[in-house]
Amino acid sequence: MSVVVCSWGNVAERGIEEVLTAARAYSVAAGLPLHWAVAGMDRDAARALASRYGVAAVDAITHPKLQGFAPDALVEAFTQYCAKAQPALVLFNQTAASRLVAPRLASRLGAAVVTNVFALQHEAGVLQASATAYGGDTQVVYRMPSRINVVCLVPTTLAAEPAPSASEPACNQVDVDLGAIEERFKVSSAPKPEGPRLEDAEIIVSGGRGLGKADNLALVRDLASALGGMWGGSRPIVDEGWIDSSRQVGLTGKVTRPRLYVAVGISGASQHMAGCSAAKTIVAINKDPDAAIFRYASYGIVGDCLEVMPELIKAARGG
Amino acid sequence: MRIVVCVKEVLDPNAVNNLALAGKLRIGSDGRTLEVAAVPRLINAYDEQGMEIALRIRDAGNTCRIVAVSIGQDSQAILRHCAALGADEIVAIDPAGLELDCEAVAKVLAAYIKSSGGADLVLCGRQASDDDQGVVPVLLAEKLGIPAVLFARAAEVSGRTLSVTCVTADGDEVAQGALPALVTVSNEVGVPRFPTAKSKMAARKMAPVAVSLSGLGLSAADLAPSVELVRQQLPVVNGNCEFLKGPAAETARQLIDRLRADGVV
Repeated sequence: MSVVVCSWGNVAERGIEEVLTAARAYSVAAGLPLHWAVAGMDRDAARALASRYGVAAVDAITHPKLQGFAPDALVEAFTQYCAKAQPALVLFNQTAASRLVAPRLASRLGAAVVTNVFALQHEAGVLQASATAYGGDTQVVYRMPSRINVVCLVPTTLAAEPAPSASEPACNQVDVDLGAIEERFKVSSAPKPEGPRLEDAEIIVSGGRGLGKADNLALVRDLASALGGMWGGSRPIVDEGWIDSSRQVGLTGKVTRPRLYVAVGISGASQHMAGCSAAKTIVAINKDPDAAIFRYASYGIVGDCLEVMPELIKAARGG
Repeated sequence: MRIVVCVKEVLDPNAVNNLALAGKLRIGSDGRTLEVAAVPRLINAYDEQGMEIALRIRDAGNTCRIVAVSIGQDSQAILRHCAALGADEIVAIDPAGLELDCEAVAKVLAAYIKSSGGADLVLCGRQASDDDQGVVPVLLAEKLGIPAVLFARAAEVSGRTLSVTCVTADGDEVAQGALPALVTVSNEVGVPRFPTAKSKMAARKMAPVAVSLSGLGLSAADLAPSVELVRQQLPVVNGNCEFLKGPAAETARQLIDRLRADGVV
């Protein structure tokens, strides 16, 4: 029995340190060793990170078919791994890819599965997972009494805390048989990332329907550039066709954690906040003093964003 | 080809969100469900976009039979909406008062699809806008033994080959594979079509095929939940906003000064 975090691809994947932190806390509460199963990853880099987060063992699954994102091979590899390791809890860092792999693995293992989880509790010997629902308008607590559970953790609101003392993780080689695996869907055209990603930006200025019309987005872009950041928007203006969905911040868009998030003409719907509430400082500019966004903001300006933004651009550029 | 579109009835997420924004969202006395007397119920918008993808596949010249299926005590309204949009058949599965978790829902849908002649393509919304879980489609694909492709904005069928354009963090990705397959549909599909008045009239006459759990060979024991919702609560937000006041130029300067002092910019 163990708690195991399953990963693949890049060791330094965003959110993995937060997930390892939550995994360690749960493994301590449940009195189970923490393992990190890494498929097709740089094992030395994984071991260094594992040591900082108090992982007991790194289980390295290597196979030529595990290069890149290969869902059929990954599901089969983790299924074979779990059949031997018999973990009580299998954790994933929630991404678009793990939202496919985790439930498929759960189905193979006969395990229960829950996604969108931001907290784990060990209550009277049973796992309880807290997850967001209704786009973040509510939070639900799921009791998971199964022998084995699979959980996708959303790292946005979790904090990364290295273990009080570093561990000396064992490094186990795990052999899997993927001879019969042929990916059923193959990527014929991969996305071409265009420049820096909103997810990685330190400063973001986002606009919402309060801008009035698409033309006023120019001010959002100018303010972002004056602050040395990137710009985005809320889902309503994506649905209105003002901006492309690649700029959308929110539950179904980009989940960001910038140092500074400036929300202009955005009401602060939970759907949107799911994509920016982890920002260290939130600034809200909105003409409605009761807008929900002010509940999350450190600084607020109640006023017409079309008047405030040009002044902000001036002030940011000056001095 | 036979396309099965899975649709769920949900509380109108915009109405729920408006209540939340106004601070009027309440949890019922059971501590688990929302107090929602005034909230309308409608088709999960992502599932409606699944219908839209099915119709676009038909519009592209593919001969297909589109079946919309829902599990619920009273799913007539959303199924008739699917019929009005162009579903050839609508199917209502009665959950017999059982509270089904995602695994059980997937079991029921898989049993229905297997018992009704299978599906070349199964379409589902990327998640339901109430629980946001998004795991039913993937579990369903596993139970049917077919691949799942997530977060589609477009899908094209050519013979037995399916080509899906998916929304990813880095931009669009196109994946290809053979039918049968399951695809989940994201909001990037765009606004779905509206039914015409004529098709709405016609849909009113269409009765859903009624399917029971026992008819699918499933007992309450087969569908016992392994995930139990024990509590629902409203998030606590730390309201600690410092409001900057004055003329625009003055507040702008104050804000930039504060951000510089905090070392944020």
